[in-house]
Amino acid sequence: MRTFEFTNRLRITLLVGIAIGLICLGLTWFSASDDGFHSRFWSNVLHNSAFFTMISALAAFFLAASVTAWAGWYTVFKRVWESMGLFLLFGLIMMGLIGLSVYMGWNELYHWNDATSVENDQILDGKKGFLNKGWYFFGTLVIVGAWYFFATRFRALSLQEEREGNGNDFQLHRRLRFFAAAYLPVFGFTMCAMVWLWIMSVDAHWYSTLFAWYTGASAFVSMICLTILILNYLRNRGYYQNVTTEHMHDLGKLLFAFSIFWTYLWFSQYMLIWYANVGEETGYFHTRINEYPILFYGNLIINFLVPFFVLMRNDTKRKMGSLTFVAAIVLLGHWVDYFQMIKPGVAHTAHEIAVQEAGGHHGAETKQLGAHDHGHDAHGHDKGSHDHGNDSHGHDAHGHDGHGHGHGSFNVGFSIPGFLEIGTFLGYLSLFLFFVFTSLSRSSLTSEHDPFIEESLHHHV
Amino acid sequence: MAHNKVIYGLYNDEEDLLRAVKVAKDKHLEIMDVYTPFPVHGLDPILGLSESRLHIAGFVYGMLGTLTAFLGMTWIFTKDWPVIFGGKPYWSVPAFIPITFELTVLFASIGMVVTFYLVSGLGPGVVNNYLDPRITDDKFCIAFDEHDLDAGSAGSFFKETGASEVHEKTL
Repeated sequence: MRTFEFTNRLRITLLVGIAIGLICLGLTWFSASDDGFHSRFWSNVLHNSAFFTMISALAAFFLAASVTAWAGWYTVFKRVWESMGLFLLFGLIMMGLIGLSVYMGWNELYHWNDATSVENDQILDGKKGFLNKGWYFFGTLVIVGAWYFFATRFRALSLQEEREGNGNDFQLHRRLRFFAAAYLPVFGFTMCAMVWLWIMSVDAHWYSTLFAWYTGASAFVSMICLTILILNYLRNRGYYQNVTTEHMHDLGKLLFAFSIFWTYLWFSQYMLIWYANVGEETGYFHTRINEYPILFYGNLIINFLVPFFVLMRNDTKRKMGSLTFVAAIVLLGHWVDYFQMIKPGVAHTAHEIAVQEAGGHHGAETKQLGAHDHGHDAHGHDKGSHDHGNDSHGHDAHGHDGHGHGHGSFNVGFSIPGFLEIGTFLGYLSLFLFFVFTSLSRSSLTSEHDPFIEESLHHHV
Repeated sequence: MAHNKVIYGLYNDEEDLLRAVKVAKDKHLEIMDVYTPFPVHGLDPILGLSESRLHIAGFVYGMLGTLTAFLGMTWIFTKDWPVIFGGKPYWSVPAFIPITFELTVLFASIGMVVTFYLVSGLGPGVVNNYLDPRITDDKFCIAFDEHDLDAGSAGSFFKETGASEVHEKTL
C-alpha cells in the first residue's frame, strides 16, 4: 500500500483523545486544586505545548541533518519526519497563544513577568533585557515561524522531487540540501534561546549553560520514540512494508545512544552544580531532590537504566515487542522530565507572587542579592536548616499561609502528574498523531524519486 | 598439529566469493575456512557461523571495571585515606561517577582486545601460517582440507565458480 488511508475509525479514536485532552484542560481550570492564577492549567498547557513543539522541531532538525550529510538510510520513511516537522504549525499557534497570555499578563507562569518582583529584585532586573514579555511573545512568533518555514520547504521540495525527479537527478536534492544546511545553525542557536525563555526562565533566578542541550536531547529521544511507535503502528497496519528490521534497528540504536547522551548531560549539569556549590545554582536541584524525589530519581531510572539495559543487546533492538515497549516508556519518561523542569519553578513563582500580593514580608528579603533563591525556604522557618536539606518542619508554616499551592507540600499536578495531566498529555498526543496521519495521507508514503531511495531500500546493518 | 594439505582458490571479488560459498553450501562441501582482507557483509549467515560471544565477555569486563572503580574509591576515600575535598562528604558518589565510567570503558575495551587476540591466536611476536600474503590485500580465498575434499573435485569447484587461481599448500 503506497498511500496511507486515514480511516474514520482511527480519526474518531484520535478525536476522542483530543476531546479527553480538552475536557481535562477544562477540569484543570475549574478544579479546586488550582490556585487563583490558574497555574496548574497554564503550566500544563506550557509543558505539553513546549514538549510537542520541541519534538516536531527536532524531527525537522534530524531530517535536515540527514539531508545535509547525504545520508540515505532513512529515505523510505522520511515522510514521517516531514509530517512531524509540519506540526510546527501547531507549535507556532500553541506557543504563540502562551506568548500572548504572557504578554497580556493572564497568568503568573514567569516570575520575570511580574513588574513588582522585577523592581524589587536585582537579579530579575538585570535579566530583563532578555527575560521580558516582548522577547517572549515576538521572539516565539518569529523563531517558531522561521522553523515552520523551513519545515514547509523540506516538505514542498520533497514532494516536488517526487513529481519531477527521476531518481538520479540531484538538482532538487541540492536545493533541499541548501535549505536543510541553512536550518541547522538557525535552529541550533534559536532553539537555545527558545528553551531559555519557555522552560529555563520558569526558574527565573537560575540558569545553566547546559540547559538547552539537556532539553534538546530530551526532545530528540522523545522524537525517536514517537518515530518508532508510529512506524511500528503503520507496519502492523500493512503500510511501510519496505521499512525493514534494519531501519528499526537503526532507530533503536539512536534511541539507545541518545538516551545515554541525555544521561551524560543530566549528570554533567548536576555534577558541576553540586561540585561548585554556589547557592543560587543549587536551588534548582535542592527543590527537586527534596520536594520531588520520586520524579527526580525516577527520571533517571526510566530514561537511563531502562533503555540502557534493555536495548544493550543486539536482538532487543530488532524485536518490535521490546523496542516499542522501551520507546513507549521512554516517551513517557521524557514527558515527565519536562514536567519536573517546569512545575517546581511555576509553583515557586505562584507562591512568591501570592505572598507578595498579600503584602507579605517577602519583598524585603528578595532585595538581597543571593538570598532570594532561599527566600521561599527562609519564609516560615529558620534559614540555617536549609543547607542540611531538612526543611520538613517548614511545611507546616507554609500550610497556614493559604496562598498558592501550599508550596513545598505534596500537591497532585505539581508534585506528581495527576490524572488531569495525563489526560492533557493524551489530548496533545492525539492532536499530534491526528496531524501527522493527516499529512501522511496526503502524499505517497515513500518518495519514489528520491536519489537515495535505492540505498534506503537495500539498507543493511 | 597434524600436517594438512590444503587446497585453496583465490577470487578477485567479494561477490564472486559469496556466490562460490553459496554453491559450496548447496553442494554440501565442507569448507575449511574462508579468508578475506576485510569483513564481507552477509558472509557469516551463509557460512552458518554462530554469533560471537565476545560482547558477553565485554559486558563482564565492563562490570568488573565498574566495581573496581567504585568499590576501590569507596575504600580509598572512606577507609584507607579519607580526605575532605571542597567540603564534600568522604563518600561523594557524584565525584566517583566519571572515574567509574572511565574504568568501565577501559576494562571493557582492553579486556575485549586481549580476549580477541588470545582466541584468534594473534599477538606481538606470534608467527602465523597463512596461505597467501595477498589474502590480506585484495584476494578472497576459500580453502578446503584435502581430507574433506580431494584435489580433483576441489579444482572443478573452483573452475566452476570462477576462481582466478587455485593452489595447494601443506600447513
